[in-house]
Amino acid sequence: MCKECGCGQNNGNTRLQFITEGYTEESAKTVEKALLGLPGVMYVHIHWHEGETTIDYNPSKTKMTEIIKVFSDNGLEAGL
Amino acid sequence: MEVKVMQDVLGENDKIAESIHDKLAAHGIFVMNLLGSPGSGKTTLLERTLEKLAKEMKIAVIEGDLFTSKDADRIAKHGAEVIQVNTSGGCHLEAPMIEKALSDIDWQSMDMLVIENVGNLVCPAEFALGEQAKVTVLSITEGNDKPMKYPLIFKESSLAILNKVDLLPYTDFSVEEAVEDITTIHPGASVLSVSARTGEGLDAWLDWLRAQVKKAKEAAR
Repeated sequence: MCKECGCGQNNGNTRLQFITEGYTEESAKTVEKALLGLPGVMYVHIHWHEGETTIDYNPSKTKMTEIIKVFSDNGLEAGL
Repeated sequence: MEVKVMQDVLGENDKIAESIHDKLAAHGIFVMNLLGSPGSGKTTLLERTLEKLAKEMKIAVIEGDLFTSKDADRIAKHGAEVIQVNTSGGCHLEAPMIEKALSDIDWQSMDMLVIENVGNLVCPAEFALGEQAKVTVLSITEGNDKPMKYPLIFKESSLAILNKVDLLPYTDFSVEEAVEDITTIHPGASVLSVSARTGEGLDAWLDWLRAQVKKAKEAAR
């Protein structure tokens, strides 16, 4: 939703923060790219040293399991 | 409470958009929602497009602007049927405006309907107008940061046009980075580099449009 004018969909987006173990600089980039490509994912920020992963997404467009799959596909385990 | 009302409004918009989509698709008409910032070059690109394509096919244009008929006046010179919709300050077009505009256009005889939305990278992305494709024009002078800052419009657009590439030598804009960002946000999206001013890259854009028109016709058979 445009927050200025209030038009559009009630922004159904949720911001989640995962802690992910075992990032390398490279795998963090791969995960960021894969997450951003999912429907409804608008923003991804990863601190790869700490494993902190912030995702702004719309749960009606992408399921949590699809997000978890991105981590597991890259050999990572994420917890909320 | 307020949130519920907004969702209802959008639900209503989507219903009307769907009926427009189905009605025009059944006639084999390609409908494009043309999006982009003010000054990105949407109208200029459309003028150059009509100069070439108006000889090959019948094109109608709905021009969305807050005020004035400046864009419709420009388009009318290029052999397309055009209607101006003024939103009187509204930041985007909505499906009921298109439905109303269509009653003033001989749309049944068209091959393509172009809806040029209000210049805005935010709100128009949320409102379906019955289009088969959204196309976003991003001029390189707007900067490389725009796709990541306005992800929804690029997620929604099957094609992004990088316009004003004739100015590349005078800016720090990286086409490579833009393509990377846009296809990261929207895997499968196409990106074309164009200069509406010099005509560079215009042929690829025209071919893309011809292919969409052909596809729409074939789907209606």
